[in-house]
Amino acid sequence: MKFNLAALRPLWTGLLVVAALAVTGAAIRPFEEPAWQAVRAQQPALKLDSLQSALGQGITAGLLGGFRAIVADFFWIKTNSVWEDSDLPATQTFIKLVTAIDPRPLYFWQNGSRMIAYDMPNWRIIAAGGYEKTPQAEQRRIDEEQSAVALKYLNEAFGHHPDSPLLYVEIANVYLNRLKDKASAAEAYRKAALLPNAPYYAGRIYPELLRKLGRHAEAYAWLKQLYPTLPKDIDTAKGITEFQVQSAMAPVVLERIRELEKELNIPQIEVFKP
Amino acid sequence: MSTVSTPTSPSSSAVGMRTVPFSPGRLGIVAGNTFLEAVRQKLFNFLLLLAVALVASAQLFREFNFGSSELKFISDFGFGAMVFFGSTLTIAATAQLFFSEIENRTALTILAKPIWRTEFIFGKFLGVFAVVGVFCALTTLLLLALLYNRETALMAADSEAFEHGRIIQYGDLVLLGVLQWLKFGVLAAITLLIASFSNTNLYTVVMGFFVLVICHLQYLARDAYAQVASLPLRLLVRLLGYVFPNFQVFNLADQIGIGAGIDTGVFLRVAGYALIYIAVIGGLAVYSFRNREI
Amino acid sequence: MTYPNPASAIEITGLTKDFSLNLRGIKLRAVENLTLAVPEGQVFGLLGPNGSGKSTTIKIILGLLEPTAGECKVFGVPSGRVDSRLNVGYLPEAPYFYRYLSGTELVRFYGRICGVPRKRLDERVREVIDWVGLSGAAHRRVGTYSKGMLQRIGLAQALVHDPRLIILDEPTAGVDPVGSAEISELILKLKTQGKTVLITSHLLAQIEDICDRVAILDRGKLILEGAVNELVGLSNRQALIVDSLPAAELEELRGWLSARGHALNAVEQPRTRLDQLFLSKVSRPQKGGEAK
Repeated sequence: MKFNLAALRPLWTGLLVVAALAVTGAAIRPFEEPAWQAVRAQQPALKLDSLQSALGQGITAGLLGGFRAIVADFFWIKTNSVWEDSDLPATQTFIKLVTAIDPRPLYFWQNGSRMIAYDMPNWRIIAAGGYEKTPQAEQRRIDEEQSAVALKYLNEAFGHHPDSPLLYVEIANVYLNRLKDKASAAEAYRKAALLPNAPYYAGRIYPELLRKLGRHAEAYAWLKQLYPTLPKDIDTAKGITEFQVQSAMAPVVLERIRELEKELNIPQIEVFKP
Repeated sequence: MSTVSTPTSPSSSAVGMRTVPFSPGRLGIVAGNTFLEAVRQKLFNFLLLLAVALVASAQLFREFNFGSSELKFISDFGFGAMVFFGSTLTIAATAQLFFSEIENRTALTILAKPIWRTEFIFGKFLGVFAVVGVFCALTTLLLLALLYNRETALMAADSEAFEHGRIIQYGDLVLLGVLQWLKFGVLAAITLLIASFSNTNLYTVVMGFFVLVICHLQYLARDAYAQVASLPLRLLVRLLGYVFPNFQVFNLADQIGIGAGIDTGVFLRVAGYALIYIAVIGGLAVYSFRNREI
Repeated sequence: MTYPNPASAIEITGLTKDFSLNLRGIKLRAVENLTLAVPEGQVFGLLGPNGSGKSTTIKIILGLLEPTAGECKVFGVPSGRVDSRLNVGYLPEAPYFYRYLSGTELVRFYGRICGVPRKRLDERVREVIDWVGLSGAAHRRVGTYSKGMLQRIGLAQALVHDPRLIILDEPTAGVDPVGSAEISELILKLKTQGKTVLITSHLLAQIEDICDRVAILDRGKLILEGAVNELVGLSNRQALIVDSLPAAELEELRGWLSARGHALNAVEQPRTRLDQLFLSKVSRPQKGGEAK
C-alpha cells in the first residue's frame, strides 16, 4: 500500500511538539524544583480517602487541582449555615471536613472547637428538655463529653500548628469555662505564655489561676520573671506600639507582685525591684 | 465615481525592492489590532459581572462576623474568581481571536501582505496576553481595594487581631496578580498551539480546558512516578510529568489572606518558568502554523 | 540593493499543486503543470469555471500556499518569500476584512503592515479612500458596509502602499452593473499609471473589455492563453456598420461584393449591450456610498 508522506506531516509535527515539550520539561525541572518545593511546603498532605466519600469526585478534583482554600471556605460557610440551625451532626461533620480539606487557617480550629465545646452542649441540653428540666449531673456529663471532643480536636490541630499559643489558650478556656478544671487550665496557659507571639493575658491569667489554687509562691516567682519582659513605654524604633503597652498591662502585673509580697510576707529588703 | 481623481503615485522606491526583516513593529500592530478586536467585540463586558459578584460576595462575608478572618475569605474568593474567570477568558479569547481570522478569512488578507507568519501568530498571542493582562490588573486592583477598605474597618473594630499591624501584604498581592497573568500567558500559548492545527473553535476550546485540567493535576504524575511498577506505564507517567507544564507551582495565593507573603526568589523562579514555557510553546505554535494551508 | 527589472510581473513555470486527502495517497490535483507569464503594465485575466484552479494559483502567487512542483516568481522574487509581497496589493474574493474597524482604520492598519512610512500614512490613507469614493463613509465600521462599499474599501487597502501589481479576485462577483462599471474604470486607470493588474473571474463577459491578455483554466490545466483581440477576433472577417439600406440597394451591394469574389455573410441589426443600456439609463449613487 502506497503511503502519502505529505499527509503524515501533521503526525510528524505532533511528535515534534511532544518531544520539544518533553525536553523543555526535563531541562526546566531543576529550575522549577525549588519553587515547587516551596509551594508543596505550604500545602499539607491531603487525606483523600476520608474525603472522597464525603465530597464526591467533582470537589475532590477541585481539591487536587489546587483549590483547597476556596473549597474549605465554601464548606466553612456551610458550617455556619447548619450551625445557625443548631444541627449538631451536620455541624460536627462540616467542622471536621473543613480542617481535613485545609488545616492551615488557625481560625477554623479555633471556631470549630468553640462550636463543639460551647454551642453543642447547649443544643443537647435544650434537646433534652432545657436547663430546668435536665438534671445537673446530666448537664455536667454533656459538658464533659463535648469538652473531650473539643480537646481532642484541638490536640489534632497541633499537628499543623505546633507553635501556636492560641491553641493552648483555647484548650485552657475549655478546661476553665466548661470543665472548671483550674489546674489543667493553668498548665495550658503556662504553655501558651512560653511560646513566641503569645498574648500578654496568658502570662497574667496563669499566675491568677495559681493563686486560686493556693500556689502563691509559684505565682510570685512567675510574675517576677514576667515583669521585666513587658513593654512599659512606646518605642517606635523597637516596634513597640501603644496597643502593645496597653495589652501588656505592666502596672497591673506590678500591682499583683506587690499583693503577693503581702500575702507571702516578703521582707522589704527582698521585695521585687522593677 | 465619474469624478474620481487619480491618487498621486510616489515612486516605487518609496516602498521599493528590499528584504523584509522580522519586525517587532509589525508584531505590535497585529497585537494592537487583536486587543482592539477584543475591546470592540465586548469581551470585557463580563468583567463588570465579575466585579459585581466580587463586591457582592465581600458584602456577604460581613454577615458571618468572621472577624479578621473575613479578609481570608475575600482574598480566597477573589483569587478563585480570577483563576476561574481568567482561565475561561484566556481559552475562549485565544480561540475566538484566532479562529475569527480563519473563519472570516481575514487571515488570507493579512498574510497576503509582507508579513511573516511568525509575526502574525506572535502578534495574536501578544494581543491576547494584553487582554488577559488588563483582566488581571483590574481584578487585582479591585481585590486590593476591597481588602484594604475592609481591613481598615476591621482594624478599627478589633485592635487585638491587628496588634502587629495590617495582615495583608499588599505588595505581594500585586506580585501574585502578576504570576496569575503569566500563568494565563502559558495557557494562551497552549491554546494557540492547539488552534494552530485545529479545524474548529469548539475543538480548540474543549481541548484547551482538557489541557488546563491536566496541567493542574500534572504534579500527581510526578508523585506517582516512583510508585508505578510497570516500566512502560512508568515511562508514560514520567513523560506526562515532563510534557505538561505544572500549573500548581503558581498556586501561591491561598495564604495571602492570613498574612503570608511570597518569597522573592520563588516569585522570580515561577515567573521565569512561565516565560520559558511561553517562549517554547509559542515557538511550537509558530512552527505548526507555518505549514497550515489557509 | 537593486533587482533586475523583469518584463514579467509574474512568472509561473511548471506549477503543480496537489492537496493530500488521506494517507493512502489519494490527492486532489488543483493545478497541473501551469506555465504562464503576466507581462508588466498589462491587465491580465485569469479565467475559468469554479474549481478550475484560479484561487489556488492566486494563493501560490501570494505565498499563501506552497507549490507541489514548479515555481512562481513575482518581479523576479520567489513567491514564497515575504519580500515578494512588498509590491503586491490583493483584493480578496469576499470581503475578508475586520468588521469592527472603520474604513479609515482598516486601510491605515494594512498601510502600516505594508510599511507605508508613518509621516505619509495619514495622507496616503485619505488619498486612497477618496480615490475609491468612500470619504463620506470612511468613519463607519466596515461591518455596516454594502457589498459595493466593501469592494471599494478592499481596493483602497490593496492600493494604500502603491503596489506595482494588483491582484483582484472576482472583483465584480455580486456587484451590480453600476459598481462593475466603476471597478472597470478604476482598473483601466491603474493601467494608465503603469500598474499590472491580474483579475480572476468566471464572469467572462464582464471583463472582456478591460483585459489585454487572458488565460483560461479548466480542471487545473491551461486551456488557452493570449491577447484578447487575437483570441476573440475573427481574423478573416470584417464588420461594417451602415445606415439602414433599402432592399434594392442591399441587393446592389451584394452583387458588387460577389463580382469581387466576396460574400455578404449576414445582414443583422446591430445591438448595444444590455449592461451599456442599463448604465445609460440608471443614475449613479452619490459619493460616500449607498446605505446597506
